[in-house]
Amino acid sequence: MNVTLETQDPITCCDECLVRPGNTNCGGCGMSVGLIMLDRALKSAGQKCQLVIPACCGIVTAGGYPTTGYSVPVLASTFAASPAFASGVAAVRDLNDEPHQVICWAGDGGTYDIGMAALSAAAERNEHIIYICYDNEIYGNTGGQRSSATPPGARTTTTPVGKQERKKDIMAIMAAHRIPYAATLSIAHPEDFARKLDTALHLEGFRFLLIHSPCPTGWKSEPAESIELVRLAVGSGLFPVYEVLDGWKYRITIKPNGADPLEYYRRQNRFPAAAMDADAVRAEVAGASARLARLAEVFPAG
Amino acid sequence: MAIEVVTGNHAAGYALSVAAEANRVGRGAACGIYPITPQTEIVEFVARFPFTKGRVIAVESEHSAMGVSIGAAMAGARAFTASSSNGLAYMTENIMVAGYYRLPIVLAAVNRTLGPPWNIWADQGDTLYLRDFPMIQLYCETNQEVLDSTVLAFRLAEDSRILLPVMVIMDAFILSHTQMETDLPEQDLVDRFLPPLNLPHQLRFERPTTVGGLTWPRETLSQRLEIDEAMERVAAAYEEHRAAFEKIFGRDPGGAISAFETEDAEAVLIASGTIASTAREVVRNRRARGEKIGMVKMKMFRPLPGEALLDAMPRATKIGVLDRDYAAGVGGVWWHDLRAAMQGRRDGVLMQDYLTGVCGGDVTPAMLEEVIDDLLDRRSAGKPVWKGIDR
Amino acid sequence: MIEIRIHGRGGQGGVTLAKIIATCRFLHGYSVQAFGLYAAERSGAPLQAFCRYDRQPITNRNLIYEPDHVIVLDATLVGPAITSGLKPNGWILINDPRLPYEFAERFPGYRVATVDATAIARENELGTRSVPIVNTALAGAAARVFEFELESVHEALEHLGFRGSNFTAAEQAHERVVFVEDIDRQGAQATHPATPTARVQGIVDGGGAQRPAIRTGQWATQQPHRRQWTPPCNHVCPAGNDVQGFLQALARRQTDLALETLLRTTPFPSVCGRVCPAPCMESCNRHALDEGVNVRDLERYAGDHGQARLQAQPRLAQRVGIIGSGPAGLTAAYHLALLGYGVTLIEAGDELGGLLRTGIPPYRLPRDVLDREIDRIIGLGVDVRLNSRIERRDLYRLTLEFDAVLVATGLQELRSLDLGAGGDGETVMQGIDFLDRAVRNQIRVDGETVVIVGGGNTAFDAARSALRLGAAGARIVYRRTRQEMPAIDEEIDEALEEGVLCDYLTLPVRIEPMRGGRRKRLICRRMRPGEPDESGRRRPVEVTGSDFAIECDRVLLALGQSPELSIFPEGTVVHDGEDVMGLLETPVYAIGDLASGDGTVAAAIGSGRRAAVAIHYVFTGQEQPGLTPEAQEVIHAKGLRLHLFESQPAHHGMSRPAEERRLDFGEVRATAADPSEAERCLSCGVCNECDRCVTYCPEGVLKRVGHEFSFDYDYCKGCGVCAAECPRGVVVMSRL
Repeated sequence: MNVTLETQDPITCCDECLVRPGNTNCGGCGMSVGLIMLDRALKSAGQKCQLVIPACCGIVTAGGYPTTGYSVPVLASTFAASPAFASGVAAVRDLNDEPHQVICWAGDGGTYDIGMAALSAAAERNEHIIYICYDNEIYGNTGGQRSSATPPGARTTTTPVGKQERKKDIMAIMAAHRIPYAATLSIAHPEDFARKLDTALHLEGFRFLLIHSPCPTGWKSEPAESIELVRLAVGSGLFPVYEVLDGWKYRITIKPNGADPLEYYRRQNRFPAAAMDADAVRAEVAGASARLARLAEVFPAG
Repeated sequence: MAIEVVTGNHAAGYALSVAAEANRVGRGAACGIYPITPQTEIVEFVARFPFTKGRVIAVESEHSAMGVSIGAAMAGARAFTASSSNGLAYMTENIMVAGYYRLPIVLAAVNRTLGPPWNIWADQGDTLYLRDFPMIQLYCETNQEVLDSTVLAFRLAEDSRILLPVMVIMDAFILSHTQMETDLPEQDLVDRFLPPLNLPHQLRFERPTTVGGLTWPRETLSQRLEIDEAMERVAAAYEEHRAAFEKIFGRDPGGAISAFETEDAEAVLIASGTIASTAREVVRNRRARGEKIGMVKMKMFRPLPGEALLDAMPRATKIGVLDRDYAAGVGGVWWHDLRAAMQGRRDGVLMQDYLTGVCGGDVTPAMLEEVIDDLLDRRSAGKPVWKGIDR
Repeated sequence: MIEIRIHGRGGQGGVTLAKIIATCRFLHGYSVQAFGLYAAERSGAPLQAFCRYDRQPITNRNLIYEPDHVIVLDATLVGPAITSGLKPNGWILINDPRLPYEFAERFPGYRVATVDATAIARENELGTRSVPIVNTALAGAAARVFEFELESVHEALEHLGFRGSNFTAAEQAHERVVFVEDIDRQGAQATHPATPTARVQGIVDGGGAQRPAIRTGQWATQQPHRRQWTPPCNHVCPAGNDVQGFLQALARRQTDLALETLLRTTPFPSVCGRVCPAPCMESCNRHALDEGVNVRDLERYAGDHGQARLQAQPRLAQRVGIIGSGPAGLTAAYHLALLGYGVTLIEAGDELGGLLRTGIPPYRLPRDVLDREIDRIIGLGVDVRLNSRIERRDLYRLTLEFDAVLVATGLQELRSLDLGAGGDGETVMQGIDFLDRAVRNQIRVDGETVVIVGGGNTAFDAARSALRLGAAGARIVYRRTRQEMPAIDEEIDEALEEGVLCDYLTLPVRIEPMRGGRRKRLICRRMRPGEPDESGRRRPVEVTGSDFAIECDRVLLALGQSPELSIFPEGTVVHDGEDVMGLLETPVYAIGDLASGDGTVAAAIGSGRRAAVAIHYVFTGQEQPGLTPEAQEVIHAKGLRLHLFESQPAHHGMSRPAEERRLDFGEVRATAADPSEAERCLSCGVCNECDRCVTYCPEGVLKRVGHEFSFDYDYCKGCGVCAAECPRGVVVMSRL
């Protein structure tokens, strides 16, 4: 090609972190923490990965072309199709007996909403891919609109007085696919996080991981409090931390510690105080926790 | 060599399969498939094919079918899929991704009227509307041409100077479901024609990139300019691969355009797909009566071979374009594009649009006789003429 | 037409500022435009917004390349981009607390104004702590600088629906903005770089593999740093031990390191691990979470189980004489010997150890434990002279023999109580003497009822020893309540378990003989708590007419001791760690209880150590860094993030059953089986490499290599997660 190109020497490295410094994520971004924890788990397992990322903050992380904020190959997929793109990549990996992981890294919009069909289909086919949803409960990349992962009461640009509907129970949906492994992960519990990733990295078939991912920009919270917020979500039972094997065997890996869910709400400006019915919130959380505890008791994992 | 009587779908399915199988010495082949009438037989054929190193993934939608194929191509495999009509419409987002990612994916498309209403019959509107995406479009006239073009499409798409997806297109039922004798080439011949794919930008650990991330205007413009340059190289590259094909298979897969009796023709019909066959016969009859009429069959729609078309009809003063499609508010897509290609290059030519067989109607010799009569009688071009319906 | 370019960061509200200014002008009949330069910028990323207004309709659809003025939302953005294309004489309005003069030199040919919009935004609670939203304040400043009416800002904010404190912020900024107008217009640089048009490597040619080019550290408005505090346990330890340090070593099961850490300051970990009142435990921040760490048992564990080899420094010429071999004298000997001095211990008694040996019963401090720790000190090459009582006249002789003399004779003067003529020397005796005789097997109290007066450790030691020597009963009378008792809490509990009775708020008045035998009546009076005295304890007040009698065979006095200064010249005043007799050439120091009267082993150890340091300084002029704890701020519970720790009860250790142990002088408490209690140490204010900051850094730019932590400020966005997640207050944020 006889044009003058701006080039830079090729980079031959994979020993650095999966997500590089200089990425454009917001300060205090939970997704960034999740990516770094994913990197640690991969290195600990001695594995490599290719990422497939649909439209979401995760693809903006890469920064402007021709730079990339990732140190692994990344394929940007269309919003609804990351599991399909990943299925193709994974199929060719398997045809060539290559050992690396193919991982979808998607937000809640790409998972709960527009990506639901492709996700369900890839899960039903039990594709050998890991699907990780970093759930910040909002369309963060577009400036904070409601998704079906947005919790009730949360104010977004499309739910100006607070969302009236419940959050979709994606774990129940994924468990219903009878996939080998589905688990929820909290970045506030790094050991549990690492163990579940390690479990996923050593299983065959479709593995679904849901990360509760704080978004200071969308949640209108202090960036520094990101970890504390998701810790509160776990402690209060708002975000149950558990795993489901083969779609029916349950294990709660971090039990709630009795924290008040209202404390979680109070620390985020996305929850207008007026829209919160404290007793209703507590009752709802208690009910969900009890139901899950019962499942884990009646259908224990291992 | 085995000449068998098969449908166009069978020919396409066979060609996709043997071409993909040829990459067993490379990184293999994979695709996503999804059924839609009238292309379903293609994906059924593919799903049955005993690939040595290939995987066919039956997915939940056309969108995902192309998604799987994109992923497979990006991982370095030979990838393809097939669809039709609303399936193409649903697949569209990922069709354009295949192009912008410069992936040599072959898409077998069966032209069917876009709905609603529910209409399964031939109309080119479902593929022509994809005209603005970086993708080569080849329209076929026979089952043999479907087969040959499909095999050739992989070589063209994978040419490092090109690296663009190729759509191989046939008319619903008239080709897709019509049994005709077709030469189905042996695998070893196809192997000779199609070397293993080596995609320069496949995902690699030793040089990690983010394919498709945020890209600023200038950087995006650079990528678009490269696509334009690749498109400009298609015509010459096509001729090279056409010659190579003929050498190996002993058969001409057909040019980007095929002129018939146009050297001295004053009036010329332009047709594509199966209408070209009918048009050729009608022109042949009119020639026999001494009329200076010719016809051009256009196989390649993207990139549009406007220059070649002009060269092929040096004396034409009246051109009738047969469009099996209708673009709302415009008329025929072929006519619209060809008129633009003609603009400023040849003055004083009358170019009239005839909407023939739109929405699946049968295009009979008699209809084309009427078209020729109308064209010859004309002093000036007018609005597109709707055939097969009273105005 | 006026064109304004705004340099801000994602989340600061730059685009909104453009909109507010445009609205101000629109409401006054101008044609306006306000727009941002949209990309995928994130909170904190530098970005630009634009505003133009004109009396004529605006048809320009381009970016602003040559602005009339610029507004800078954040002084960290000040750089070449600020003046790119800026027209000569244009205003540069900067959000910064500094005066404009500090920027004016960098911008020749331009007018500069500054306003601390961030402070104003914070005052008015606009935005979050790390990302204050400064746009409404800057709109007020802009009105002043660009000369449009403040009222129009009010109107614009109303029009746009900004309520609350936004207009207050604008008003304050309008008032506080500072200008520099006096400029030389020659220096203005009105050029802006041409938009690049060079082609960029495409994806099929391998483009897209470059590393990120953005130094995201430039987004930061605050940065993390590490600071070390003094944990309260270290702060209060009279011996000056690194309590936190040895606990953390134990928490990692590095028992030898724990012992080494202790031996840096104290030669008596096994002793203190048994007898120290452990103010560290009282001060422990863990009380705010559940209960304090059982430091005493852990010190004992380290002392009993740790192995450490001590290496004295090469021998120096100077020789030091130490009078008294109690904990202060022994500690001074220990440190001086380690530093290389020739040390001679001069002891009046026939054994080393002072009160450790004579005053603490073996069931609390077994003799082999004491001997082991004393042997370690003597093993450093310390000379010993036993049975050498030093009187005043001997002291001068010693100053000639030694290069320095330390006097550590402790509290020899025992406080007494006049109980009238009813008692005799055998019936009423000092608890200390009783304990000394008990240790030497020189006394039995079979069948006796023994009353002990006092509430300190000596009182309880005497009471419990009496039981072990055959007493039928041991009864403590104390004029205050249990809360005021100076004795170690655990020892009180153990004594009560063993059957010692306590009469609180009871004052012995006199002894009366009883007919028919040796028994006496101890007449006592009830007390009630009165007003607090200067020590904060409630002063006991006698209750008239409340006298009652306790029948007993013996009364032991444990009322405390005071220093015996007769060794010094008349009128000598002693201060801990100071030369007592400054007129002599040889320094003479009084140390330990003699100097401080504190009465605890730990204080004596601290005093001995400080004296050694002082002597070393006198001889060499050198500080001994390991021996002098650095003065740092003490961290209290509110400086920690206690919610990050799980509540966990303390290990209280194992004791022999009361009914068994009260029969002999065998040790009451067992050494802990393992040091797991140390895991409860919060390591307040001192990094223990828990690595939470590393784990949670969203940028992966906080790293630890070996013991070194590093922050990559080129990329740190200043989110503050590391500080928020540091449980012990080590990582702190500071504003840029």
